[in-house]
Amino acid sequence: MGKLILLLLNLIVLYNIVAAVFEDQVGKFDWRQQYVGKVRFSHFDTHMQSSKKVLLATESNVFAAINTRTGDLFWRHVDKTGPEGNIDAVLHHGQDAVLVVGNGRVLRSWDISVGGLNWEIVLDSGSFRSACLVGQQGTVKHAAVLKKSVISLHYLSNGHQKWVENLPESETVNYQAVHSDGNGQVYALGVVSHSHIAVVAYSAEDGEIIKQVSVEAPWLSNIPASCAVVGQGMLTCVDSTTMSIYTLDLYQQLQMIQIPLQSLGLEVDPGFQPHLVSHQPHPARQPLSEFLLQLGPDHHLLLQLNNGQIVILRDFKPALLVSFATTGEKTVAAVMSPKNKTACGINLFSAESGRRLLDTTLIFTVDPNAGKPERLHVQAFLKKDDSVGYRVMVQSEDHALTFIQQPGRVMWTREEALSDVVTMEMVDLPLTGTQAELEGEFGKKADGLMSMVLKRLSSQLIMLQTWVAHLWKLFYDARKPRSQVKNDVSIENLSRDEFNLQKMMVMVTSSGKLFGIDSKTGSILWKHYLDNIPSNAAFNLMVQRTTAHFPHPPQCTLLIKDKDSGLAALHVFNPIFGRKSQVAPPALSQPILQSLLLPLMDQDYAKVLLLVDDQYKVSAFPSTKNVLQQLQETAASIFFYLVDSSQGRLSGYRLRTDLSTEQVWEVVIPVEVQNIVSVKGKRPNEHVHSQGRVMGDRSVLYKYLNPSLLAVVTESTDLHQERSFIGILLIDGVTGRIIHEAVQRKARGPVHVVHSENWVVYEYWSTKSRRNEFSVIELYEGMELYNSTVFSSLDRPHAPQVLQQSYIFPSSISTMEATLTEKGITSRHLLIGLPSGGILSLPKMFLDPRRPEIVSEQSREENLIPYAPELIIRTEWFINYNQTVSRVRGIYTAPSGLESTCLVVAYGLDIYQTRVYPSKQFDVLKDDYDYMLISSVLFALFFATMISKRLAEVKLLNRAWR
Amino acid sequence: MLQGDGLSRLWLLMHATLVVVSCFTDTDSGPGAGGSSTQPNGDRFKIEGRAIVPGIKTQDWVSTARVLVEGEEYVGFLRTDGSFAVNDVPSGSYVVEVVTPTYRFEPVRVDITSKGKMRARLVNYIKTSEVIRQPYPLQIRSTGPHSYFMKRETWGWTDFLMNPMVMMMVLPLLIIVLLPKVVNTNDPEMRKEMEQSMNMLNPNPELPDVSELMTKLFSGSKGSSKAGSSSKGSRPAAKRR
Repeated sequence: MGKLILLLLNLIVLYNIVAAVFEDQVGKFDWRQQYVGKVRFSHFDTHMQSSKKVLLATESNVFAAINTRTGDLFWRHVDKTGPEGNIDAVLHHGQDAVLVVGNGRVLRSWDISVGGLNWEIVLDSGSFRSACLVGQQGTVKHAAVLKKSVISLHYLSNGHQKWVENLPESETVNYQAVHSDGNGQVYALGVVSHSHIAVVAYSAEDGEIIKQVSVEAPWLSNIPASCAVVGQGMLTCVDSTTMSIYTLDLYQQLQMIQIPLQSLGLEVDPGFQPHLVSHQPHPARQPLSEFLLQLGPDHHLLLQLNNGQIVILRDFKPALLVSFATTGEKTVAAVMSPKNKTACGINLFSAESGRRLLDTTLIFTVDPNAGKPERLHVQAFLKKDDSVGYRVMVQSEDHALTFIQQPGRVMWTREEALSDVVTMEMVDLPLTGTQAELEGEFGKKADGLMSMVLKRLSSQLIMLQTWVAHLWKLFYDARKPRSQVKNDVSIENLSRDEFNLQKMMVMVTSSGKLFGIDSKTGSILWKHYLDNIPSNAAFNLMVQRTTAHFPHPPQCTLLIKDKDSGLAALHVFNPIFGRKSQVAPPALSQPILQSLLLPLMDQDYAKVLLLVDDQYKVSAFPSTKNVLQQLQETAASIFFYLVDSSQGRLSGYRLRTDLSTEQVWEVVIPVEVQNIVSVKGKRPNEHVHSQGRVMGDRSVLYKYLNPSLLAVVTESTDLHQERSFIGILLIDGVTGRIIHEAVQRKARGPVHVVHSENWVVYEYWSTKSRRNEFSVIELYEGMELYNSTVFSSLDRPHAPQVLQQSYIFPSSISTMEATLTEKGITSRHLLIGLPSGGILSLPKMFLDPRRPEIVSEQSREENLIPYAPELIIRTEWFINYNQTVSRVRGIYTAPSGLESTCLVVAYGLDIYQTRVYPSKQFDVLKDDYDYMLISSVLFALFFATMISKRLAEVKLLNRAWR
Repeated sequence: MLQGDGLSRLWLLMHATLVVVSCFTDTDSGPGAGGSSTQPNGDRFKIEGRAIVPGIKTQDWVSTARVLVEGEEYVGFLRTDGSFAVNDVPSGSYVVEVVTPTYRFEPVRVDITSKGKMRARLVNYIKTSEVIRQPYPLQIRSTGPHSYFMKRETWGWTDFLMNPMVMMMVLPLLIIVLLPKVVNTNDPEMRKEMEQSMNMLNPNPELPDVSELMTKLFSGSKGSSKAGSSSKGSRPAAKRR
């Protein structure tokens, strides 16, 4: 019983230690941005005239509805990553949206008004080809799904299968498209490459084959790329080799009619694959007889198919993008044509006549730092006077969505590239002009007493001036209503705040777009799109020069490496303004194996970046004389390591004075048995404040603080649940000495590791007990420190003491990181991203291998929590309360100017920024500090003394009279 | 000699200049790193159930809810009536969780045999083989909204007054001020009675008073010579007697 009470007491103590969010702090210093990813399909909700929804299905396997007025999410459904959640097709009809997911594995219907699931059914296996809605007599009740060898029809109301039929000759015929236009028939279109088209007409009623024809078409290989159904069942194709348009009547299927493009006076741009776009306003009706033909990158045509004859309605040249849109009975074509370098004009043309509609011009400004526009999504609507109005959503190469209203007002922009952040850094903001002036005063050499005094006075005067201006602004703002006061953040007025809590977040996305985001508000301050980024590029972002070296501008370097070829390129830029730096990066002709940022600086205070190529030659950037000289001096103490996971080799190298390298050690892990999964060093900007831990008996247990310790995680190649294991190796990066080795049997990955101070925490899946487990390893030197002044890997004769303990964790995790503070005095927390979207702040205290099983006097003195096998997840410890972050991929922590405060950015599909106080805010007054109380008490005491003094005087006087 | 000198310099530099940068080569995911190792021709099954939030319309919360099976290995969505089905799950034992940002649901462990027989039981991570049956198809009832926030310590007069320190100060004050007014001290009988009760409180008059003890202690430490002289002075007095 006593023990239980003790435990409870302990818990209460801990409860107080652990900082949680207070309800009134919501949104005060945290923000979240939700993204959906690169858009693959989009549908405007035309079900109601007043609807404000646009449905987006993306390549990140997300299906979402977005408010067209604000750009915010109505709802969002995040499916599994990978091919199993891949959205193949979206069919939108009325209130429902039917999605084909996972290569035709699952059919799902969503209610778009509430965002709930209507139904979900599993289809038979077979790779997905095409899908369409099937209507009859003006109503749409079915959806047809075409797979490699079967075609099936499903009810839209409940997903049940109406019929399923095998496709004839599916081994030879490659079925690629399905078409229906409301006449009770469903056409499956297949092609035998360079031979003929196969057309199979099914009855929508019972799936009976009505007709089956094959028509010669030796030039055709891909139906969706070059064909479209136009008008009354006319399959229309365009071919670049024969320079012709072919038409085939699906109802009669006699023969392909060839219409040479030359007879129309048209010509395909050399090397361009021409493309056809038709439009079917309603699935139960026939497609329009007008269609769009693209003949070149900026050449589009609006054509009409009239009784087998093709009429040119309008020639759009130059036209970058063209798209159809329908409202009511009217169909229009929106055409985007370049105006000048920075602007494009969008115009509407009537689809029937090709005439330009009046007052429909819209200007779209192209940001030179963004990608080119790629797709147009047009929302057309009828105005009160029955003319057509429209809004347009422009999708660009860099995944950005811009929603524009006439005459060119940007309603919102969504930077969907931010849904896939690869790496990021936080950079201190620069000082303001006055602050820099003050700094400069100390930096300069003294030039006489008088001038110093004058300088000081002038800078004080400037400070007074800014203070008065600040007060005036406060006073001025206070008179305005609160909603009107806007703190506009722009690059010009950015400056460091007094505690350095506001920083610039430099984010690198996989699309190659770089962003500079203000960490306080989350507003994007600059963006820069790097084109020609290979699709499988790896990025490494390094801060070479911080803002501390005024007047030298800060400098970041991004290493972009093609994962296949290993070839790399450097992009050097200013992290505050996003501009490309004048410094010319070296051209890298050899594949790069490793990059290291040295603590050495050149005369301009830029840290030296070393790049190791595949010949083990080292090049430095910047490579001035000064740098090379410094490198020569310190070469003997520069070590680095390389990992070759395909051969299981981990090798350490040393730099020679002539910038060649020399192998010092090598550890080979047999790849037949286990693979190297990750190698983690310590963060270079980490500080450890206390060298040891004070024990219950007042002795000190010293930490083993090896700055070059590597934690290597391996997983077994055998994945059988009885034989699989994970291993962890602690290797000294200088000598290659294996400090410790641990093997967790009956365990498998994914393993998440955090390596900091003198501890390594890792998480794995225990196959035996089917649960996630945490394990912590702590290294101690013992009761005495061998060499307290400096740590040397070459002179540490005693092996460290290793303590280890494991715990059960009741959830799987997505990512893990440790908090980081300026001086390392604050206790550490682990930030754990959970699949549910929460970010748990777990005190490191719970992961302490010295947690005793039996409580003793000493352990209590030391404040150790008694060992409990299961770690608990308390929702109070979620630093992001209900602001869940989907698919957390990384958590970035950065110290602020306050020792108690650590800045946290979690990124995945969403981005969430907040501050955490692992040991509460011990160095600033809490934000709920009661100024009213303290001042009222002070005043009350003051008045009480005044009154009592007066009373005492009166009393004395009275006594004197007595 | 020279070599030794170089070595010592090397040690000195060691602590600062060794740079360990995470490697750029593809260590992030090995070929065998993926967790999903499903049998190629094993049957796939469906986990079904229903989530209920008492007193809340399903439309209000289903759009933010998801069903996670074993982390994010399999994902299901909730229908507009709160029911769900997670498709394509091979046989095995899984923890099924309904996650929403607003409501809390307890996880359930679902075992699927290779023949497709299902059973649901309580999740117990410590005794993993313990079976406490739950209904299947799953009936997951919300246990209330998530509590994300700590209560602020608010300041009120009652808190202030109920503070033990304040009570200790205020109560004696009240006694000092009020007692003389309640009890008539001029009454000689009363005075006698009070004196008696005071004696009752201090049952052993021989016992030294605490304050006296303290003063003795401090004066004793201040000057033992003084104490000695006083004792010398008292001794002859005793002799005289």
